[in-house]
Amino acid sequence: MPDPSKILKAGANRRKIKDHIVAYSFTAPNFIGFGVFTLIPLAFAFILAFYSWNGSPNQEMQFIAFDNFVKLMGDAKFWRALWNTVLYTLGTVPLTMAAALGLAILLNQKVRGRNFFRSVAFFPYVASLVAVAAVWNYLFSPTVGPINNLLHSITGLPFKPPAGGGMSLPRWAADPNPYVVMFTVVFFSVWKNMGYYMVIYLAGLQGISQDLYEAADIDGASKWQKFWKITLPQLSPTTFFVLMILVINSFKVYDIFINIFAGADNQLTDNSRVLVYQIYNTAFRDLKFGYSSAMAMVLFVIVLGITLIQFQGEKKFTA
Amino acid sequence: MKAKKLISLALGALMCVGAFTACGDSAAPTATPPAAATTEPASNATEPPAATVEPTPDAPEPVQLSWAVWDYDTTPYYKALTDAYSAIHPEVTFNPVDLGSQDYQNMLTTQLSGGADLDVITVKDIPGYANLVNQGFLEPLAGYISSAGIDPAAYGGTLEQITVDGEVYAIPFRSDHWVIFYNKALFDAAGVPYPTNDMTIAQYDELAAQVTSGDGESKVYGEHFHTWRSTRQLWAVLDGQNTIVQGAYEFMKPTYERILKLMDDGVAMDYATVKTTGLHYSAAFYNQQAAMLNMGSWFIPTQIDKVATGESLATEWGIVKYPHPEGVAAGTTLGTITSAGVNPASSKREAALDFVKFISGAEGALVLAGLGQFPAVKTDEVADTIASIDGFPTDDNSKEALKTTKVYLEMPLDKNSAAIETVLNEADDAIMTGSITVDEGIEQMNTGVQEILAQ
Amino acid sequence: MAGSPEYAPVGAPKKRFRVSTVLIYVMLIVMAVVMIVPFAWMLSSSLKLNKDVFSFPMEWIPSNPQWSNYIKIWQQIPLLRFIWNTLFLSVVVTFLQVLTSSFAAYAFAKLRFKGRDFLFLAYVATIAVPWQSYMVPQFAMMRSMGLNNTHLAIICLQAFTAFGVFMMRQFFRSVPDELCEAARIDGLSEYGIWARIMVPLSKPAMVTLVIFTFVTTWNDFLGPMIYLTDKNLKTVQIGLRMFISQYSAEYGLIMAASVVALIPVLALFLALQRYFVQGIATSGIKG
Repeated sequence: MPDPSKILKAGANRRKIKDHIVAYSFTAPNFIGFGVFTLIPLAFAFILAFYSWNGSPNQEMQFIAFDNFVKLMGDAKFWRALWNTVLYTLGTVPLTMAAALGLAILLNQKVRGRNFFRSVAFFPYVASLVAVAAVWNYLFSPTVGPINNLLHSITGLPFKPPAGGGMSLPRWAADPNPYVVMFTVVFFSVWKNMGYYMVIYLAGLQGISQDLYEAADIDGASKWQKFWKITLPQLSPTTFFVLMILVINSFKVYDIFINIFAGADNQLTDNSRVLVYQIYNTAFRDLKFGYSSAMAMVLFVIVLGITLIQFQGEKKFTA
Repeated sequence: MKAKKLISLALGALMCVGAFTACGDSAAPTATPPAAATTEPASNATEPPAATVEPTPDAPEPVQLSWAVWDYDTTPYYKALTDAYSAIHPEVTFNPVDLGSQDYQNMLTTQLSGGADLDVITVKDIPGYANLVNQGFLEPLAGYISSAGIDPAAYGGTLEQITVDGEVYAIPFRSDHWVIFYNKALFDAAGVPYPTNDMTIAQYDELAAQVTSGDGESKVYGEHFHTWRSTRQLWAVLDGQNTIVQGAYEFMKPTYERILKLMDDGVAMDYATVKTTGLHYSAAFYNQQAAMLNMGSWFIPTQIDKVATGESLATEWGIVKYPHPEGVAAGTTLGTITSAGVNPASSKREAALDFVKFISGAEGALVLAGLGQFPAVKTDEVADTIASIDGFPTDDNSKEALKTTKVYLEMPLDKNSAAIETVLNEADDAIMTGSITVDEGIEQMNTGVQEILAQ
Repeated sequence: MAGSPEYAPVGAPKKRFRVSTVLIYVMLIVMAVVMIVPFAWMLSSSLKLNKDVFSFPMEWIPSNPQWSNYIKIWQQIPLLRFIWNTLFLSVVVTFLQVLTSSFAAYAFAKLRFKGRDFLFLAYVATIAVPWQSYMVPQFAMMRSMGLNNTHLAIICLQAFTAFGVFMMRQFFRSVPDELCEAARIDGLSEYGIWARIMVPLSKPAMVTLVIFTFVTTWNDFLGPMIYLTDKNLKTVQIGLRMFISQYSAEYGLIMAASVVALIPVLALFLALQRYFVQGIATSGIKG
């Protein structure tokens, strides 16, 4: 009597093994390339977080256990950089998502010149950062920029703070107030990247079956109802993807800050210093590769935590 | 359950990785000179076959030197130098490795840390030099300098300024000093006398205020400060009482107050405007927006060239010596040196050393001077060569301005130069944008730099 | 911002339809202007002398257009060579990326195997590590493999990214599992399902990945900067930066070269965006 079930089990096991081989064969081509060229050097960087090393093969790496992390606790520049990065992320993520979704829905309809508008929206993402950052800085220049000149003629506020104190026009990227500075860069970032996320949303919208909308029409659903009951839920895998990538990219922001704020010497100040800048400079200017790796590891752990939460959320919402 | 599984998996992965990098670690330290030879075969594969040609008994063995540079295509003197050298040593060819100027130091660190086959290394600035020395990426040259008969005195003191504990790791081949460029037409129009080779800073500012005129589009600023920190802070060290790396910066207060006032009064363009509009100093001068410009002598060949092509509208121009504080000799100025060294891991040490000697010596100097560049070896012949270039201002003052009395390095050497520079740059930007007051900025520099020096 | 209420219009009663149509166009035109201003500035600057690029007040239509800028960029640097190199890299990287990512993504989205979630999480989380913190060990490794100064280095670097896998997995998940089950019952192998069902059904997603990968590779600067120091191998973005040197910057030429560099990417986008049309995916499912 027990025989048939055993045979079945053995067959199931064999099938299971075969399934695994098939699955691994799918992941292998990408994973091997990724593992060799990214994961290995990256693992090396993580191990470095427990060492003291000046980046030179001539110098022995010194194991110092958690010293780098202990030092991080009291590093005001690091915390300021982290705070700025968080602030930037909080500003960019919701605004970019809203703008990208809005644009995608707008440009998924049958409007005249749709191809043109889509390309135009994608343009800032494609354009060279060096070039567009230059024009933004120019437009927002505190005294000669067209934006402040327009504001000046509307409000009559002075360009420079009056001697006795009082209101003056914002100086945008060069403003003494860190929140104005952050607002300026968030605004630029949303402008630069919303086309990119719009494309992802557009691709996501194509995956929604028309049948659902037809069924809803038969039930007499309003546009609003269809948006909330069909479009948004159906888009949720896309939304989670956009959210996760946006959060990760915001935490990793570097190029935008360098191009908006830094002058000839690639220098950021307290108001604009972000995490990756701090990581890069700690390694290459201060020659503290171990300490820099410790910062990168903190960044990794933060993002990993946020990503895990998002994955849990995704499971809940898209199941 | 699940979390446990994840953790055990993660641990397993880490252990694998640990085992891997453990091998990597033991391999890394051995990548010093002796081991460099063993990595040669792999790298030879990417070199042209010329390098592997069998040596014939009479002809010297062909050598290809890899030279780390920046802006190779837009900077004519690299090729001029290698051509001049190859003319004497036909067996030596060059492979310029262009790492770009903007991120040169970081790119160079990456290349050298990764063991790239570079033979000759151009050192862009003092912070970069300090880092390369700290990392052991430059061959000590004191022994070679004396054995090869190089005269340290020919370098006008710059060689001493880059000496660390009695050892020197690179030889300067270019040495620029700061001068004042001025636009004669603007002075004539304002009826103001030209600047001279012996001005105090107060006289200079006075002159600047006089020549300032106009409004809006036709505004002419008396003087101009580029975005670099050096255009501001360095005025404060001209009296020789203080240095940029000393860790106490109260002495900079009068300088900052002076410059902020000039900007407030409209004698110089506001810092935020210069920075956000990306205005290049050359454009301010070409477009006759600035009557006087404090800038390095490297701008001379560019200005000559742009007058010739018609892009620079400042066709009547001249240079004079840098203004000096009261009681300091005229001709006291700031300098920037560019030097060259040899990678200790290079397998072509001899050839590399000889090339460094050539470009930093008298022969290299003439090649550079012929292109309007200032070589580190300063001879009368060099000054004459530059002054005789077609397009160089013909007045005597301009020629005289090429000579210096005392040159302070823009950034004196300290093993922490790079880190100190970061602190200074950040505080400077914050002061200039008004994010913090001058006093707060000085406080920020003091604490930041002292922290670095204490390590 | 460009928010949700305006979503409603299409198909609404006639009167509202009109008002909302006007609203949509107003919004689109405002958006287009905001997006196009920098491009106009680039175009305008590309016809100026360097010194006039940042001069103010700004001149939108150059009074003395420097058409020669568009000739100089080909003469001063080997731009054609750079474009060719970049094109080659972008095409190869894109091909490999789309192929391997969609392959791996299928396993992550539709197959069950040990360590799946962990592996996937590892993939995604590594995106967060900035490249700057591991470029030194990576360079050392690549160099010891003899890949320094080869295009292969950039291909290896760019072709296998976590991003591509993540994105494809997200889109594959929205394909109903029932389709795969049905195909399995019909005797299709997993490879067959990938080729005959997943790929055709995910065209918009694949197209998105094609565009993104192409643009990323095309605009990559730091990677080629480190790995391609041989002049014959360099790419467009390095070429652009060649006009910015230590003591001067030729902004007129940078803008001209930027305009030229933009054309292939915009052309690709225009050519591929016809795939962003509702119905392709659904018609596949029906069939």
